[in-house]
Amino acid sequence: MSQTYSICLNTQDGKEISFDCAADENLIDAAAQANITLPAVCHEGNCGACHGHCKSGEYEQKSHSSGALSEQDEEHGGILMCRTFPRGDMIVEVTSDLSHITSGPVPEPVCEVLAVDDMGGNVCRLLLKVLPDEQGAINAEFEPGQFMELEIPGTDIRRAYSISNAPNWSGELEFMIRLQPHGKFSSWLLNDAKVGDQLNTKGPEGSFLLHQAGIAPRRFVAGGTGVAPMLSMLRQMAEFQETHESHLYFGLTSEEDLFAIDEIEELKASVANLTAEVCIWKPTATWQGFRGSPVDAFKRDLEADLAKGIKPDVYLCGPPGLIDAAEKVAEELGLPHTSLFSERFLPG
Amino acid sequence: MFCYQCEQTSRADGVLGCASAVGNCGKDAQTSDLQDLLIHAVKGIAQYAKRARDLGAGDNDAGKFILYSMFTTLTNVNFNPARFTSMLTEAAEIRARVKKAYEEAATAQGVVVEELSGAAVWDIPTETNELLAQAAMASVRAGEAEVGEDIVGLRALILYGAKGVCAYAYHALMLDEQSDEVYANLESTMDFLASDPTDVDALVAQALALGHTNLTVMGMLDAGNTGKFGTPEPSAARISAVAGKAILVSGHDMADLAALLEQTEGTGINVYTHGEMLPAHSYPELKKYAHLAGNYGGAWQDQQSEFANFPGPILMTSNCIIEPAASYRRRIFTAGPVGWPGLRHIENHDFSVLIQAANAMPGFAADSEEKTITVGFGRDAVLGVADVVIDAVKAGAIKHFFLVGGCDGAASGRNYYSDLVDQTPDDTVILTLGCAKYRFNKKDYGAIGGIPRVLDMGQCNDSYSAIQVAVALSKAFECEVNELPLSLFVSWFEQKAAAVLLTLLALNIKGITLGPTLPAFITPPVLNTLIDSFDIKANTTPEADLAAALAA
Repeated sequence: MSQTYSICLNTQDGKEISFDCAADENLIDAAAQANITLPAVCHEGNCGACHGHCKSGEYEQKSHSSGALSEQDEEHGGILMCRTFPRGDMIVEVTSDLSHITSGPVPEPVCEVLAVDDMGGNVCRLLLKVLPDEQGAINAEFEPGQFMELEIPGTDIRRAYSISNAPNWSGELEFMIRLQPHGKFSSWLLNDAKVGDQLNTKGPEGSFLLHQAGIAPRRFVAGGTGVAPMLSMLRQMAEFQETHESHLYFGLTSEEDLFAIDEIEELKASVANLTAEVCIWKPTATWQGFRGSPVDAFKRDLEADLAKGIKPDVYLCGPPGLIDAAEKVAEELGLPHTSLFSERFLPG
Repeated sequence: MFCYQCEQTSRADGVLGCASAVGNCGKDAQTSDLQDLLIHAVKGIAQYAKRARDLGAGDNDAGKFILYSMFTTLTNVNFNPARFTSMLTEAAEIRARVKKAYEEAATAQGVVVEELSGAAVWDIPTETNELLAQAAMASVRAGEAEVGEDIVGLRALILYGAKGVCAYAYHALMLDEQSDEVYANLESTMDFLASDPTDVDALVAQALALGHTNLTVMGMLDAGNTGKFGTPEPSAARISAVAGKAILVSGHDMADLAALLEQTEGTGINVYTHGEMLPAHSYPELKKYAHLAGNYGGAWQDQQSEFANFPGPILMTSNCIIEPAASYRRRIFTAGPVGWPGLRHIENHDFSVLIQAANAMPGFAADSEEKTITVGFGRDAVLGVADVVIDAVKAGAIKHFFLVGGCDGAASGRNYYSDLVDQTPDDTVILTLGCAKYRFNKKDYGAIGGIPRVLDMGQCNDSYSAIQVAVALSKAFECEVNELPLSLFVSWFEQKAAAVLLTLLALNIKGITLGPTLPAFITPPVLNTLIDSFDIKANTTPEADLAAALAA
């Protein structure tokens, strides 16, 4: 019989939730045993969805991807709960509010393909509709910033993608998917996907969410399709008529990668106080916008914000390199880590 | 933050009031501070609005803003800090408008323009960090070191009462009932508070004047409800589920419910009432809708478990919202003054998204066994059988009346009210209103001469009905209300109850038993004044208080 320890999670909104965890059990599985559903996808330390921060207690952190948890973060108590095994009672900070920690299994709705469109920049827009379950209910509730796992029809291969549309009750889920050479899901999208196809999905999942109770200005720093969850957030802000002063830094490598520009323009018109700029890392001579990475543009404005005493809420999404760079900028300039909310896009 | 406006305020370690990161209601410090600042801004508006109105340049749109913004600061109404920053911006614009109107009216009439100070000239920052840095100035306890806690407590009594009056006036406004006199009185009240009053007699007089204003407002609300929806009549309200898609409506706003019933007619969606919406089942123009299927659940404090089990979306139309749990936070919608960060707010009675949500959710799979309770004993229903009641009193069949009403809450001591009603003798009648009745309204207490012993008069604002009944009985028996065989047991929780209490005191109704605990802002010397003037009592035990009432 393995030794059992008490795990106390401190949520972002200052609440607590506790469960027991055996020494040979990881935190995610132990929470599930207690009917607590914590954010997690791969369960193998590769995706970073179950990131937390250990405030106190002993534990063993098993092998994981450095993209999901950097060495520096690990040194400061960062953990991946799916790879964390307690060696004593633990107190862990998580980035979810208590009201976002659900109980019971994650829904697994069946969806139908409504549209597959080329958005430009080698990005595909996939529009799904959740089909009614046996009770006639459409389980399509999600929070902006969350993702779904989509299963390639006829296989058990799943990939996680952020939802880019605003929550709705018509059951529509929109995704912006960069087509990867030799990618299995990309291949299905390019070669097989057609309107009317049905696919199994799982979700919504994830704790990369708008800090709804915040009144600070909002800064959105996106790399590539990392803009997808931010579009969901901004679309809800438009619907809710939120007036937070907001700025979107949308980073791409080259002009050839441009996509979602019309959507961003639409949001600039519909979100009360939104400005946005596209940042091209390797621009041509004719590029009129920001020349450099979105992190460079973010740094420029964060310095100005902090000089005025403004501490914005910062949302980061994209490849790990972008997140790390933005976090480093924030740390160097003195923005508290509690003002940062991030989601790392890692190869599946 | 510092807040002691509701009954569940912290009383830990002998310190009265919530002063930590999060209040007992779930309001965080940032939101609490913004609410205080909004109240301060409202005082500034009132300073100019009162003077403009005195010169014939009243601005009822500013009055409406005062009603709405004050309502948002009631307990369990609006927890969305972003809404408060927006309202503060709007407050600055409105104050500038009424200031201009005042100055123009004064100049036109040759009146010297007063140089106002305090809230009137507060430079409202646009940056939230600058706003929050000024919160201490707007705290309900500002100046306590100079004037003492008794004065601050009396100011708080007026402020909280005014919040309740504004909430009722807003409900009336939603039913197209408004009055220049009420706007004037509320502007006058807030102007009075803006002057940082210190005279006890003036403070007490202002509180009682506010009580009279509240009586007017409750009368307007009564007229609004009966004018739009007909006279409440005794009716059976189903309290068990009916198969089909479902929407739950909570709060107090009958206008929202009426619009929703109209929009859902013929859709196959059933509408259920929750909490203080229960009296809807007694209004002819609301109960005529066959899909007003029933009443679901109990009082507000049980909503987290009850809403989680409701198989459809929920509409919260006014107080009392509690932090939505994960199980239903994506399907609860707010309207009117209500707000919670991240919840969808419905404007202008456009319930299309709510209807979409109901259709997307399973609803009730099957009918439950039919159970009903009787509601709708408003003043017309009671006075309609006045002869029977009076004869029963004269014959000794009814020996005593109890008014047991007000708010419910989670505190364990609130079973006092069900224990009290359980122990009332069979020859007594209980009038009840507000959500406190959920402690006992599903029990059968029998009848006297065909009149049920427990008469549900409606919402907390239907205190107006109860007052009218008491006045009518006093006329019938040719005595004062205080001489009737009537005992009032008022259960308070928040600021609407504070307004009702001020009305009862303004009407010189004596001997009210108030509980489950006394307001934290009423200091011992102020309480002694209330005891001396109005014989107000605190709950002891149901047995002792019942015995005292029957012996009186």
